[in-house]
Parts: sequence; structure tokens; C-alpha cells
Amino acid sequence: MRESLNEPISVIFYYDSSKRHVQPYRLHWQGQDYQLGKVDFWHKTKSGDTLIHHFSMGDTTGTAYFKLALDAATLHWTLEEYMTADQLEVQYQRYEA
Amino acid sequence: MRLEVSAAKSSVMHIDLNSCFAIIEQQANRLLRGRPVGVAAYDTPRGFVLAASYEAKALGVKLGVNVRQAREMCPGIVIMTPDPPKYREAHKRFKDVLLVYTDDVTPKSIDEFVVHLENAPLYRQGVSAETIGYQIKNSIYESLGEAVTVNVGIGPNRFLAKLAAGLHKPNGLDAITHKNLRAVYEKLDLLDLPGINTRYKRRLEAFGITAPLQFLDADEEYLRRQVFKSIVGRHWYMRLRGHEPDRREFGRKTIGHQHAISKQTADPVELERVLMKLCEKAGRRLRKNNLYAGGINLWMSFAGNRQLWSITGADAYAGQRTGWHHGEKVGSRLYATHDIYAHAKRLLQSAAVTEPVRLMAVTVFDLHDWDPEQLDLFGAERGYLAARRISDALDAVNNRYGEFVVTPANMMEMRGVVLDRIAFGSIRDMV
Repeated sequence: MRESLNEPISVIFYYDSSKRHVQPYRLHWQGQDYQLGKVDFWHKTKSGDTLIHHFSMGDTTGTAYFKLALDAATLHWTLEEYMTADQLEVQYQRYEA
Repeated sequence: MRLEVSAAKSSVMHIDLNSCFAIIEQQANRLLRGRPVGVAAYDTPRGFVLAASYEAKALGVKLGVNVRQAREMCPGIVIMTPDPPKYREAHKRFKDVLLVYTDDVTPKSIDEFVVHLENAPLYRQGVSAETIGYQIKNSIYESLGEAVTVNVGIGPNRFLAKLAAGLHKPNGLDAITHKNLRAVYEKLDLLDLPGINTRYKRRLEAFGITAPLQFLDADEEYLRRQVFKSIVGRHWYMRLRGHEPDRREFGRKTIGHQHAISKQTADPVELERVLMKLCEKAGRRLRKNNLYAGGINLWMSFAGNRQLWSITGADAYAGQRTGWHHGEKVGSRLYATHDIYAHAKRLLQSAAVTEPVRLMAVTVFDLHDWDPEQLDLFGAERGYLAARRISDALDAVNNRYGEFVVTPANMMEMRGVVLDRIAFGSIRDMV
């Protein structure tokens, strides 16, 4: 299992009731804003009783990838993974090997 | 009596996800699409590649090569460690799509399913298996995303359906019937047949069978009495001609966990810590399934040697042990983690390990349901019940607050050791 970067981030997201769809729209991290594109993969996990939603997606310029986590108990967002097109290595916490 | 090739309608469908883990990573991260990607047990040089994208496969990266070799074959490859929750979600969505068509859906592994269409409403209305196959492909595309493709194979039995699914990878759809069976076999090698590995191939060749068509034409008695010397020969005789010897579900006989130790060690303290975590994982699954075990097996493979099984327990190979295993019935009920661990630790001590261990596995066997509980008036049952209640209470705490919130003391500081993994093959406890 990959360990999350666990970086707190600010996220604007909306819910479209006609499509029953949740879309993270914009995120702010390390002094930068990123306009987010389509959610490419969404899945859930549980940590004990707490439900976590994970959104994998890119930015609208096609140069960055993010995996975001929404803690359904606290409604806090964190950045779990990050990657840019010019440095093709997914950034996530690695266990000691 | 000679059995004819089955002329039954091809109503068995085998569906598998192409390069499962790698393609799900490409679906989740569009920067990876069109690029060579490998998902490896560890992203360190000795970590094994568990899945490679088609772009990586084209450059020779395949299951089982290590990360160093993968980078040599394919310098631009992006290597990442597995993300099991994502793959479980993909498996669930994959299954949900298939259940729309019929309830006769059997998962064979995380990335493959067998679907029997006989009772599928569309099929009964006269829609062909091929048409349903194309609809399923589209539904999977819509459910899982545009990067995900599947192979669909259709045949009169499971074996031919799986064979058909492998004919045109990736993203193929093929059917094998009695009409094209010989033509399909004619183009294949023995190793292309599902279930034929190099060992089976050598055995077949030793008996003069060098190609699938010869295998098909071999006499049943010859296969049963001489080539395989068992009922296995009869099963091959049936499956090659489209009859079904494989629609059997086997009950669970063991529960176990294996771990590849990244820092290979002979240090007893370190080995006991890994052992404890393996016992805890096995115990959690045992209790989740409301079972107890009557026996335990410990298996280790030592560093610097190829993994070999020792039949006798302590094996010597050119003066050096390659592996060690021992299993025994314990004469009591294994349920609580500390009971499992106590027996496993005794086995570990009996192994007298001096060589660095690279793989360790704990398996419990002789499984029984706890219910109905028949209580012994005078003794042992009381102890079992007390241990059971304590274990259930600890499991309840971990269920509520997260895995390993309450752990045995020697598992402290073990976060990240014995990681969440998806097994090849059986996925009984996954969904």
C-alpha cells in the first residue's frame, strides 16, 4: 500500500445534482492554485469507522496529477499523491525498504 | 468410448482486465497513459514487478522481473508500488457490470471473471454471446474509464473461453466453437494453453505430444493411464474438446499470509516481529470468517537461494538450506492471535535459522466453523470461549478505529511491514 503524502490542502468542490456527481474544482497547495479536470478514478476506503473518499485526477492543463482524500468525518482534504509531466515520478510516502 | 468435440452453444464467457494493476494506475493518472508503467511489490531495485502496462510489456518487462531489470529493459519506465484499495474498487465495479447481465458470475481472481450465460435474460431472448460481450466491453469502459480495456473469450466450457480470451490481447473478443476448434489449436503452442506450464509441456513431449492438435487427438486412456497417470488425464481429455470438468467450487482449506522481507535477516527478534504480524493477519481473517484452525504451518525461504520446497522439513541443497517448512496439528483450537503466534514461534525456534530469511509464510489449516458451539462442561471450552471473547473485543476495537490500533507489543514500530497486498488467484476475503 502506498502511504499518503498527507499534506493539508484547500479545495473548492461542487455537487451537481442532475448528474449526481461530485467534482473537486480547484485546489490550493504550497502557494499555488490548480484548476482541476475530470475525476479519472474515485474510490473509498475505511480507517476504522471513518470513510475516506479518494479522487485521482489531473489539472486542466494536463501537466499535473493529484490524488486527493476527503475525510468524511472531519471534511478535511489532504493531498495523497502528486506528479508532474516534466518529472514522471509519482510522489507518495515510501516505506523503508 | 471416444468423446466427440462438444457441439454445445458457446455460452461460457471469460473476461479479464488487461494488465490490471498497471492499467488502473493509467486510468487514475492520465500522465501515465501511453507510457511504460510497472507496479512492483517494492520500488527498490530488488522489488518484483507485479504488473506491467502494455507499453512496458512491448519492451520485455513482464511479471516477475525485478525493478532493476525493468529499468534496464525500459529506462523510462515509471515504477510504483501497489494501491490495493483502488484495485479492489475496480474489481467491484467490474463485477457490478457483469451482474447486470446475469447472476451467474464467478470471480477467478482480482482481474478475471467467468460468466455463464445460459440463464442471462438477453441470451435467452436470442442475443448472441458475442453481442453481449461487446455490450459488456462498453459497460466496463463507461464504469471504469476510457483507459481500461478487457479481453473477452467465449467458449462451450471454461477452458476454451479462457483460451479465446487470450487470442487477441489487448482488448480482444473471440469465440471458440466446435467449428473453429481445430483451426485455433493449429496455430498455438502447448504453452499457449491455459494450465500448461513448462513442466507439463515436458511431460507431454516425453509422451510424444508436441502440439495442441496432437493433445486433442490423444486417446483418453493414454492420457489418463500413461501421460498423467491419474484422473487429471481424463479432465484434460474433456476440457480440450469443450466438455466441462472445471465447474467445481472448492471449499476453503487454509488461511495464510506470506511476506517478502525487504531487509532480509536472520535476527530472531526481527523474524518474530514479522511472524507476529503474519499471525495477526491470519487470525483476523480466521475470526472474520468465524472459523478456528486445528493446525499451523510455517514456511521460510532463505536469501541467496532460489525458492525450493523442502518435503522433509529441513532441506539441504548443496550443503545450504534453500527453504524450510514444517506443519503440524496442534491438538487445540487456534483462534486468538497469541495462540497462533505461540505455535508459530515454537516452529520458528525449531527451524534454528542462521541464514537470512527472504520469504516467510504462516498458514493455518484444518478449519472448522465455530457454530454451533457445543460446550464442554468441565474445562477446556471455558478457556477457548474466554480467549475468543477477548479476541473478538480487540477485533471490534480495530474495526472501529483502524487496523492495528491495538497490537501485540512486539509489533510496535512495525507500521508498513507486511503491507496490504492482493493475492494472485483466490480473492475470497477481498470483497
